[in-house]
Amino acid sequence: MTIDELKSYDGRNNRRAYIAYKDVVYDVTQSSLWQEGEHQGMHSAGVDLTSALSGAPHGDEVFKEFPVVATLQREESTTKKEPLPPQDFKTDLRIFYKKYHPHPITVHFPIALHLFAAGFDIAFLNTFKEIYAVLVFYALFIATVMGFVAMLPGVLSWWINYNLSTQRPFVVKLIVATITLILGVIAIEIYLQDPNVIYSYTTPSIIYHAIILLTGLNVIILGYYGGKISWGNLGEEKMQTVSFDMNEPNIMMSSGSTEQESPRLFSAPASSVKIASDERNLADNAHQVSISILIGGAAGLGIDTLEKILSNAFKASGYYVYSTKEFMSRVRGGSNTTLLRIANFPVQAPCWEVDISVAMDALALEHMKERWHHDTLILADESFSGDNSNVIAIAMKESAKKFGNAQYGNTYIAGLLFGILGLEKSFLLQSIDKHFKGEGSNKEVAELGFQTGTEIENLTLPKLPNTDIKAVEKLHLMDGTTACGFGFLAGGCNMITAYPMSPSTGVLNFMASMSKEFDIALEQSEDEIASLMMTLGGWYGGARAMTSTSGGGFALMGEALSLSGMTETPAVIYLAQRPGPATGLPTRTEQGDLNLALYSGHGPFPRVLLAPGSLQECIDYGYLAFELADKYQIPVIFLSDQYLADTIMMSKDVDFSSYEQRRYITKSAGDYERYADTKNGISPRAIPSFGEGLICAVGDEHDERGQITEDYKMREQMVGKRARKNDELTREAIAPLCKGEGDIAIIGWGSSKGAIAEALERLDDKRLEHVHFVWIHPLSKEQLSVLDDYKYRIVVENNADGAFADQLKLHGVHVDEQILQSNGFSFFVDQLVEMIEKSLKELS
Amino acid sequence: MSHLFDRENVDVAWCPGCGNFGILKLIKEVLEELEVDKNNTVIVSGIGQAAKAPYYVDTNMFGVLHGRALPAATGIKMANPNLTVIAEGGDGDMYGEGGNHFIHTIRRNVNIVHIVHNNMVYGLTKGQASPTSQKGFETKVQVNGVSNEPFNPLAVALSLRAGFVSRVSIGNAQHAKEVLKAAFEHHGYALVDIFQPCVTFNKTNTYHWFKDNTYTLDEGHDDSDFNAALQKAFEVMPMPLGILYQDKKSVLTFEEHIRKSEAKALYLNTHDISKIQNLFDSY
Repeated sequence: MTIDELKSYDGRNNRRAYIAYKDVVYDVTQSSLWQEGEHQGMHSAGVDLTSALSGAPHGDEVFKEFPVVATLQREESTTKKEPLPPQDFKTDLRIFYKKYHPHPITVHFPIALHLFAAGFDIAFLNTFKEIYAVLVFYALFIATVMGFVAMLPGVLSWWINYNLSTQRPFVVKLIVATITLILGVIAIEIYLQDPNVIYSYTTPSIIYHAIILLTGLNVIILGYYGGKISWGNLGEEKMQTVSFDMNEPNIMMSSGSTEQESPRLFSAPASSVKIASDERNLADNAHQVSISILIGGAAGLGIDTLEKILSNAFKASGYYVYSTKEFMSRVRGGSNTTLLRIANFPVQAPCWEVDISVAMDALALEHMKERWHHDTLILADESFSGDNSNVIAIAMKESAKKFGNAQYGNTYIAGLLFGILGLEKSFLLQSIDKHFKGEGSNKEVAELGFQTGTEIENLTLPKLPNTDIKAVEKLHLMDGTTACGFGFLAGGCNMITAYPMSPSTGVLNFMASMSKEFDIALEQSEDEIASLMMTLGGWYGGARAMTSTSGGGFALMGEALSLSGMTETPAVIYLAQRPGPATGLPTRTEQGDLNLALYSGHGPFPRVLLAPGSLQECIDYGYLAFELADKYQIPVIFLSDQYLADTIMMSKDVDFSSYEQRRYITKSAGDYERYADTKNGISPRAIPSFGEGLICAVGDEHDERGQITEDYKMREQMVGKRARKNDELTREAIAPLCKGEGDIAIIGWGSSKGAIAEALERLDDKRLEHVHFVWIHPLSKEQLSVLDDYKYRIVVENNADGAFADQLKLHGVHVDEQILQSNGFSFFVDQLVEMIEKSLKELS
Repeated sequence: MSHLFDRENVDVAWCPGCGNFGILKLIKEVLEELEVDKNNTVIVSGIGQAAKAPYYVDTNMFGVLHGRALPAATGIKMANPNLTVIAEGGDGDMYGEGGNHFIHTIRRNVNIVHIVHNNMVYGLTKGQASPTSQKGFETKVQVNGVSNEPFNPLAVALSLRAGFVSRVSIGNAQHAKEVLKAAFEHHGYALVDIFQPCVTFNKTNTYHWFKDNTYTLDEGHDDSDFNAALQKAFEVMPMPLGILYQDKKSVLTFEEHIRKSEAKALYLNTHDISKIQNLFDSY
């Protein structure tokens, strides 16, 4: 049994409950300690508990009672997926805590004694008997001493198990415990001064009795929050769940394939899993600090250069960098902006309101106004800053001109920002050196900007904490386009034919640059019809070919897409969406072409739609696109959009050797039949000149050898054959990525992943869970079964028609609320937070 | 006479007396006489009565969409430059629906033989005007007769500097065979426009009409003279038959250019993973 298979034995809904320990699978269904697959509210069935046992209050002797049902087979990649906890002092302590619980052991004494004291003090106040007074005092005395003893392991636990979380229960506990101890000391002091004072109606006496009663109440509060931390979904448990769930997306659902050569289609790179979980752990750190910088100016002023220089310099300074562009469909003029976010955690979404706003011209100043918050630091050139008191006037142009060229404006701004943020100048100068290769006076200009920047007061900006420069240095800074390109290369793409169209052209450019390094056949076609026809010709001839386009171009490909379906010729189509209809907003973003991709082409035929939402997914699924196209001999449509294509994020290391270079081409025998009917509908695909057979692939309805036929029985046979491919394919559907523990699902697909993830982090509402789909079509029952358990489902889409929600509804999923946006922007995390809050209000 | 390229068990869909039979026979004979390896040959065709020809030739075939044979053929040459690729279809298929591809395939100089059955009418859709129909030709759709200027494929191909431009008539099979053989031997794009009658839907342009309105170019025509060829391309009534122009200099073909003269079939290649790794790591 594999880890995947084990998961389905979770003991819920009358399913059997299995657990694994040291590679042996036990059946715990009958155990009273494992009802509904839950053990002590801490562990769920369907998982490997080997590592959990070290923290259990019992040893492995308990397993003897349970019947053994299987052994656990670990695939290489799966084993690697288990992120090994670092073996340090903190980990040792954590294991010790899990086993011996020092805080609960000690904390019961002061709690009991404080309550005891309060109880007897009430008795004393009613009777004034000395014996009660003595009992109350000694109980309080010991309770206070024990209070110190109990607090120490408590604080230690807060550090090692909960990473000094500042969530409400921890803060309340710390404050109340400290107050209790201080009050205890005060009361003891009063009593020791003069034990008789407690009989009188003096101020010290009133304080003494008040403290006794109040501390009794305090320990009740402490107990309540202690229980909430242990049994609620807080702190450590949440972190565990997160890292577990992040392993999900790379696990292919059982393919059920009968094909021997590929029992498991998608061997995900083990590295990808580590990346995801590492990122989350960092993000869960309570000390997240990010600064957003919005730079605005006309096209042609060099914002792109500035973005590049700054991104590299911030990265070298040890910060996570994120940048995204918003630009007009023109080569010169207009007003464009670039948003940069720097942080000590991985940022994967834009925000609407910004901390720093730099205007390179007057129009930009006006254009960015809406995105200022109360404390935004606004910088503009003195020539157009006007008399707005919020704007800090800088001599950008004058300073640049001193060096003889107004084009130095952007290097000046780079220096200025580094100065304001108080970062190490040398990182910026290195980045400038690397970019300009020492040309001109860029460094001198930057230094001047830096000097000016250090003189600007920036009290409102959060201080950037120090980070691990070495760790960030290892990350790879790239946009979605480039990541997709690497995914396609990993998938063995060796041919691309395309007609340029924003925002898809980046992939064509990337492949063109790669054609200098690899044997890649590339041609710019006369139109999109030719693009896909050449791609189909390429696959027919033995290439792994693709085309790239956007909505309008894809619309032209409809007939050829249908040809791919009928001739069973594979195709990979990279479809970077932009807002339509027609020309729409050519340089902006939308997830508006889902229905087009889904329903394009006449006649029914199987197809796959994939929509990545992160750099890692661009690579993983870019690879998968070629695998699926080749294996099932179908068109695979890869849905990106302008936002994902043009946004620069950071990727951890990717191990490309884990992307196996497969080919699904058969050497033909003399009696080869291209459309031989098989059990799963997939006919072995041969190509011309490889083997003895002849390859007849045709767009008319055909018989098994590829001759035109109108025989109704043959038609039925071939319709059935193509449909069976779809059945097989549907079983491969990859389950959505679920993150969280709540019963309200926030469902997204494709490029909205980062925005939803950060919005939910900001909301910090344990009712919410992020459900992210990459495999969009065909949807399967098993894949959607994860949606059954939610109370409410809110679907978030960057479009006007809610096409994905419609697909879910079509598959019987109830959708309670929809959050849609189609204004040309992708979701801004701060705005999305408000939209989700509003939806939640609608639900209650 | 052996029938190396005969395909067994086929149900030919043409009308008795159709010019397509002659063209089919011509193609099979040329392939056999040139000793072309059938496993290494692909005929790509669009849709139409002419485009059915490859179904009856025993070689590899890719039957695509109306008008789209040329880009598919281009893709095949990109993937495997070693293959002998023929694009075949009718005048409506290649000059009408696929007109844009016709222009750009010539510009690319893809090394294929482009065979166009030109009967000046749409057969499969039962008798409408085609791009090459003569002015005044009356049909069920063009009830007042065709008013559009007929498409001149030879002049268009020449203006785009095609390396081999020819026209034959199936009424003169021996001559047609010689020209088609030369087209196969040409290094680069070669156009062979073949006049053929449609016995069912074109009662105007019959065997007799073609015979009366064409003449065969003799040795007096210098097929390396581009200007002379251009002049011949515009000649009507009678229209010249033969190789109007051929560029015998070895011009770099499309696939030689984009594959950097590496003729290796792409299916034999996989990328060097360590190279991908290094490139990724450089970001």
